[in-house]
Amino acid sequence: MIANSIPIGPFHPLLEEAEYFELKVDGETVVDIDMEIGWMHRGHEFISEMKTFTQSIYLVERICGICSTSHPIACVHAIEDIDNIEIPIRAKYIRTLVGELERIHSHLLWLGLAGHFIGYDTLWMWVWRYREPVLQMFEIISGNRNHYGMMRIGGVAKDVDPASIPDLAKIFDMLGKKMAMLAGAVKDDPVLRSRLKGVGVLSYDDAVAYCATGPTSRASGVRGDVRKDESTDAYGLVEFDEIVLPNGDVYDKLVLRVLEVIESVKICRQCLEKLKEIKGPILNDVKEISPGEGIGRYEAPRGEVFHYIRSDGSNRPIRHKVRAPSFVNIPTYTASCKGIPVADVLITLASIDPCYCCTERSLKVVNKENDPCLIDLLKISREKTERIRREINGSK
Amino acid sequence: MDKDEKFFKAMGDKISSRIDKKRRFYFNVKNEDLREVVDYLFKTMGCRLSTATGIEMYHGLEILYHFSDDDTGTYFCPRVVIKDKEHPKVKSIVPIVKGAEWIERELFDFWGIEFEDHPRMERLLALHHPQNLKEPMRFGRDS
Repeated sequence: MIANSIPIGPFHPLLEEAEYFELKVDGETVVDIDMEIGWMHRGHEFISEMKTFTQSIYLVERICGICSTSHPIACVHAIEDIDNIEIPIRAKYIRTLVGELERIHSHLLWLGLAGHFIGYDTLWMWVWRYREPVLQMFEIISGNRNHYGMMRIGGVAKDVDPASIPDLAKIFDMLGKKMAMLAGAVKDDPVLRSRLKGVGVLSYDDAVAYCATGPTSRASGVRGDVRKDESTDAYGLVEFDEIVLPNGDVYDKLVLRVLEVIESVKICRQCLEKLKEIKGPILNDVKEISPGEGIGRYEAPRGEVFHYIRSDGSNRPIRHKVRAPSFVNIPTYTASCKGIPVADVLITLASIDPCYCCTERSLKVVNKENDPCLIDLLKISREKTERIRREINGSK
Repeated sequence: MDKDEKFFKAMGDKISSRIDKKRRFYFNVKNEDLREVVDYLFKTMGCRLSTATGIEMYHGLEILYHFSDDDTGTYFCPRVVIKDKEHPKVKSIVPIVKGAEWIERELFDFWGIEFEDHPRMERLLALHHPQNLKEPMRFGRDS
């Protein structure tokens, strides 16, 4: 067998972020895949340890543009876990509402991109049309379309205006109908079925072995959803189904996300109904955090977001560990890409909805010889610009 | 008998300094017992490895593994303390949990902890770093 290599990345039209894949191929068939990351690190863990607990919530919100409320929810869960802090019931429903809205917009974003990657731009335009009202709902609730700044230790920062609830309910009515229609259309669509069925299969055993999480593992028949397992916030107070599909291929991952959107709309409507009835505070006053350690997690659209925080009783964490779902899902490519044709690799890589900003969140480079040498990307960029400018001026 | 009680009974004196919290168990494990504990958690109890956290303390380096029992929402966190900060070495759990490969490489990247029997013990995030780093990235910075 003669194996050749096909490089993908680190900068590639398919990949919105920088990462590198090396496919070892025998003819048209992929026999092995190697992955390298490290182009996106920004040092959130280390920076967080220099911030106060409240400041670190804003920091982790910026780990990812799509999961911009999943990280803060997991972060406040971790801090609250240290002291077993309870939050007001109204805050629970608001957290759940915002978290589920994020799931809807993230899944719709991925569905559109998946359509685009396989050259099916109708799906892309169709789905993104329904994503826009979701962003508008964020604007109504938080004032922002992204980075909502809603989470606080002991509750939430902003209340849902009762006057806006009828408007939100109308949008959810529309979304519920459209998503039901979309689910039917996706299941019946012969193009999607023939292109994605049986492609990039991740078996049940591999999903367990690689400790995959979220839609990636649930589409392979592995049960596990933090919303059901821990029932934090209002998840124990609302009714919804955990979607699990058996085949592990890209088609199941696509259908699973559509079905999850329908469940999320269901959860949001229940939250809105409760927010009409339940009055009261949205934030408990938390004066200080005791020494100790806490684990917080949340079911982000891509899977379990995990935060571990250790406190020494001061106002800063002495250790803040962040693990995004893509960090454990990306290694599953080793199993799902082997044996498939090269043409199927791109949609298989996209199928886990990878996020490299999240994956590489953790690093801050400190060089002992050159202290304090945080790798300053801005500085490197300016130096490079300056060098190019000098070269251009020199060549004139 | 609950799953957690069964686990602690089966592991016996391999576990020390146990801290119980609501759905969270933190406990110390010796390096030589680590694989047996991990094997029980992963294979017998069907727990999923969420990640492992490295922490530099005055008394040494700590590795805190986070195993999630998804049926009950409980976390089991075995903690291994390495006294030798200059040459930290621990047994790799990759032969038991394939998903630990990147997690251990990240710990190697940060603290220079070498995992014995790891199939690919090299940097994960700073493999192609522009400064060609020679030292672990957080070495000597946290204590």
